[in-house]
Amino acid sequence: MTVLLWILGILAVPTLLVVLWLGGVFVKEFAAQMKGTGGGEDGGGAEAAEQLGLLPADRQNTEYAGPLPAGWEAAFAAVRGGDWRAGAGLLDGIGRNWDLRSMAVAHLAGFAAEEDDWLIAWEADGPDDPDAAVVRASSTVMLAGQLRGAQWAKHTTREQFDGFHRMLRRSRDEIARAAALNPGDPTPYISEITVATGLSYPHSEMDKLWAQITARAPHHYEAHWRALQYWCKKWCGSERLAAEFAERAAASAPLGSLLTVLPLIAHFEHDESDDNAADRAPEMIARVNAGLADAAAADPAHPRLPELRHLLAYYLSLQDRDEAAIEQFKLVDGYVNALPWRYHGKGMTARYCRIRNLSAQAVVSAGAE
Amino acid sequence: MGSTLRALRALVLLAGFYLLGVLLLAALAGADYLLFAHGPAGVATKLTAVSIVLAIPLARGLLMLRTPKPEEPPGLSVTEVDEPELWRTVRELADQVGTRAPSRIVLTGDVNAAVSEDARLLGLLPGPRRLCLGVPLMQGLTEAQLRAVLAHELGHYAGSDTRLAALTLRGRTQLLRTIRNFEERAGSVEGRERARQERKNAKAEGRGKKGREIDTYGVGVTYRTLARIYTAYAELYLRTTLADSRRQEYAADASAARIAGRDATASALREIPVLTGAFGFYARSYAALGADAGLLPPHGEVFGGFGRMLTARQLELAGLRSELPTEPTSPYDSHPAVADRVRRIELLPADGRADEAHGAAIAVLADEERTFAALEDTVLTEEVRQSRRTSDWQELLDGAMAGNLAALNTPLHRALALYTKDRPTLPALLTLIDNGQLWQLARRLPLSDEAVAAKGRAFREFVRPTLHNSLHSMVMAEFSARSRMRWEFSWEQPAKARLLPAPGSTPDDGAPGLDAAIAIAVDTALADPPDTAPLRALLPPAPRDPASRETDAPR
Repeated sequence: MTVLLWILGILAVPTLLVVLWLGGVFVKEFAAQMKGTGGGEDGGGAEAAEQLGLLPADRQNTEYAGPLPAGWEAAFAAVRGGDWRAGAGLLDGIGRNWDLRSMAVAHLAGFAAEEDDWLIAWEADGPDDPDAAVVRASSTVMLAGQLRGAQWAKHTTREQFDGFHRMLRRSRDEIARAAALNPGDPTPYISEITVATGLSYPHSEMDKLWAQITARAPHHYEAHWRALQYWCKKWCGSERLAAEFAERAAASAPLGSLLTVLPLIAHFEHDESDDNAADRAPEMIARVNAGLADAAAADPAHPRLPELRHLLAYYLSLQDRDEAAIEQFKLVDGYVNALPWRYHGKGMTARYCRIRNLSAQAVVSAGAE
Repeated sequence: MGSTLRALRALVLLAGFYLLGVLLLAALAGADYLLFAHGPAGVATKLTAVSIVLAIPLARGLLMLRTPKPEEPPGLSVTEVDEPELWRTVRELADQVGTRAPSRIVLTGDVNAAVSEDARLLGLLPGPRRLCLGVPLMQGLTEAQLRAVLAHELGHYAGSDTRLAALTLRGRTQLLRTIRNFEERAGSVEGRERARQERKNAKAEGRGKKGREIDTYGVGVTYRTLARIYTAYAELYLRTTLADSRRQEYAADASAARIAGRDATASALREIPVLTGAFGFYARSYAALGADAGLLPPHGEVFGGFGRMLTARQLELAGLRSELPTEPTSPYDSHPAVADRVRRIELLPADGRADEAHGAAIAVLADEERTFAALEDTVLTEEVRQSRRTSDWQELLDGAMAGNLAALNTPLHRALALYTKDRPTLPALLTLIDNGQLWQLARRLPLSDEAVAAKGRAFREFVRPTLHNSLHSMVMAEFSARSRMRWEFSWEQPAKARLLPAPGSTPDDGAPGLDAAIAIAVDTALADPPDTAPLRALLPPAPRDPASRETDAPR
């Protein structure tokens, strides 16, 4: 019996040693992993950003590109609660400021694309209300986009495409009605650019539509933004057509109209390179400089100004102009739903923080030297 | 390679086929011997049992090759007394080709012509020849084209070259038949197993249990494995004899062109794929139109109608004829691509025989109507022939469509039955829409992943097309049930439904307007918010007779 215990004891020693060693390895690995995530993968960029007074990732708003104009938040909340009068009042107050109007319509239409009982109530109250009509038309266009989803064509099903096209075709009648009810308003036509993009209007038709818009609002930000999408290679145009459209619009617009954003977007949409060489080319530096001048001259209350600043911050950072980049980041920090981050979907905040933090770290370490 | 060598090679390859079976059996037996000699007895016994199971189809394969069952396609055997003209033509062509005329002619019900031979002694000795000739083929070809087809088939047996190659041809036919037998055997074993499991499931469901998934994987695998080995051998065989057999096809084409004329041969080759497609379409859309409703066209019309359809759709077919089939040919196919064959024939010098024998090939038959009727009785199964004969095609169409609409079962029907646990009827659906329950119902439709994930308006738009189609069909069924619908039969176009105005209103009271109004009313009934009033107004009033009201009332 004792002999058996001795044998067992001797055998147990190496087994115990192996188990202890394995446990040690696990603990070490685990500790290393914890330290790795705790330390941040950008190597202290987050701390640098915090030092500069920038907000952490979890405090970034992913719904908007910048703060909403005063009173909009409350109006939207009321509309979502079913009170269409809040929406009607908002549009009424905006009047003929087409930039603000198209932005407000886009937000209201977004709500109506989800659920439209409040809009049906509004339409029942005023069957020929041009504001309700334009929200209706725009919401159908947005609904089309929701049916299609945001995937590339090869990941989109037949049913999704059918729904997309069916909604876009239906929206054309609604757009025509909204345009007829408010002849001076470019907003219905601006919605139609998305229809043109989705249904692949021929270029000649797009040019006709464009003439309708520029006759009503020659330097409208959203109109240009959407039209540029149409002219992009991924939709109905080409890199050259998009670049020409962007440069022509930027060159002819007065300072402060924010259309200097267009050449930046055209570059962004067609940039398939993996390095930053193209982003640091002299013409890109010139485009960014033009954008900085434009932003400085713009009305600080322009609702689209943050969108330009996001792109400026991005390219300034890629161009190693970190001080200037941080200056722009500080002006938009807290909101991230804008190009170039928006295309990352749920990862847009991470993308924004990564680029921002790189610049922040460069600025902080330059200051420390 | 001389013709003697080729014949020898064909013999060797045929012998190799036997050898393959013997070798496989020997390998199994050897493995068993080794197991018993050196392995533990328990394992050896088990594995031997497995090897015996494998050996059974192998041995059968050998036997099957020895006695290939002559499979006679269902058809109408015609004697010289029945069809003197046809027999005279075939004999004359066989003479010109320089081969024995077939001893039997069988008229079949497909687009096909084939000369076959019940060869004896492993295919080394010739046997009685049989010509199978599809009546639909004769309906579509001109007399000259039919002569070209027959000359081509007979040409395979003509001349010293093809006589030697006949061995190869026979070997290949038998090899392919063996493989097909294997596959069929595997299929029938699988089919039996499936039927057995389905019965079991049906019983389980009867007791309120959920049936198991039917699984026939594994059953029939042994047969399939064997078939695969033989297929591999057949590939070798075919590759070896491929150049020969393709050359034979060209030779048969050339002899057909010589005998029947260049243009007739080329156009027959172009015509056959067109006719095959057209006959398939005819069988589905016309001949079998009343299958679900248990209706048959008038006696003789099952085949007779094909000729009418070909005449009516001349233009459509002319377009198909000008384009040759372009799908790539399998490297194991004994026939070169049709396009290639046509091109070769059309390269031959013109022989000035373009205008020969333009009459329809079917006229060769003594009495086509009688043949159609007799063929029907041979080709159709007993069960099909029990179906009721309609007096004409119009009646067949009306009966078939009314039957289809009465048995209508759209996704919406199934969702409604699931949601209400009651018989799905149009009045029940409209009431449900009025109660604002349409979108809860819609959740019971078969939905795509995207539709399931969607909410609010996006969800409603995803399901609206299905709802619209189903509801529209239900409305049409209602019109049909109230005898307010007529179908227009046509040999040229798909049948069209025509709605009849309400009795009492002026005749032809804008029937197309009624269609449009229904489409709009269906949309309104499914809109946000829904309104069923316009649709209700358009529906035919329910009859006052309480007996037929029963169809509407939920049970």
